[in-house]
Amino acid sequence: MHITVEFYGVLRQVMGTQDMALELFDSTVHEALQHLCQQQSQLSIHLPRVACAVDDEIVSREHRMPDGATLALIPPVSGGST
Amino acid sequence: MNHLQSEPLNIAALLDETNDPASGALVVFGGTVRNENEGRAVSGIDYTAHASLAEKTLAEIEQDTLRRFDILQCRIVHRTGDLSLQEFSVLVVVRAAHRAEAFDAARHAIDTLKQRTPIWKRERYTDGDSHYLEGVPIPHIQHPE
Repeated sequence: MHITVEFYGVLRQVMGTQDMALELFDSTVHEALQHLCQQQSQLSIHLPRVACAVDDEIVSREHRMPDGATLALIPPVSGGST
Repeated sequence: MNHLQSEPLNIAALLDETNDPASGALVVFGGTVRNENEGRAVSGIDYTAHASLAEKTLAEIEQDTLRRFDILQCRIVHRTGDLSLQEFSVLVVVRAAHRAEAFDAARHAIDTLKQRTPIWKRERYTDGDSHYLEGVPIPHIQHPE
């Protein structure tokens, strides 16, 4: 199956792109993240604080994505100072 | 109803939109680009967003604020793109019968926005450098790594 991954915030810098096409055997978010970490090992440092969204819904790493889905990686949002 | 825009924010338009004869109090919070952060001279901030998720989140925050506080109106609009010093990055407009609730509601809305909304800030410095600001992880489904 094929998905599109979108990167936001600092992850665009880490991955060097705003988005990327992925071909997956398994359809889980977890597998997609593993693929991405193989391409860019620096991504793994950020993942514990990254939320994943499919179709504007935050999903778990076990979530199964449909073919053609867009997976968005949401790093910590900019709180700024109080 | 939009909550994100790339054009400069317009306070007058939001005041017109939220006009309510039952209101005796109006609170406007405006976030602006400051010229200094953590000892570095700032020249501007680039705001990016996951647009559809940010629109959904800001709409939810408006509705949540209306439910939690005795207020009449709550509107939030955030700007995206490259902003210069003192430009408005966000406006929160609250109208209520009385000022206490209006102040409390406006603070709640902006504090919640900063913790939940998928918007990111890349600060630009006068020395030519730039840096994504550290943020707050949004609530997400915990996964054992």
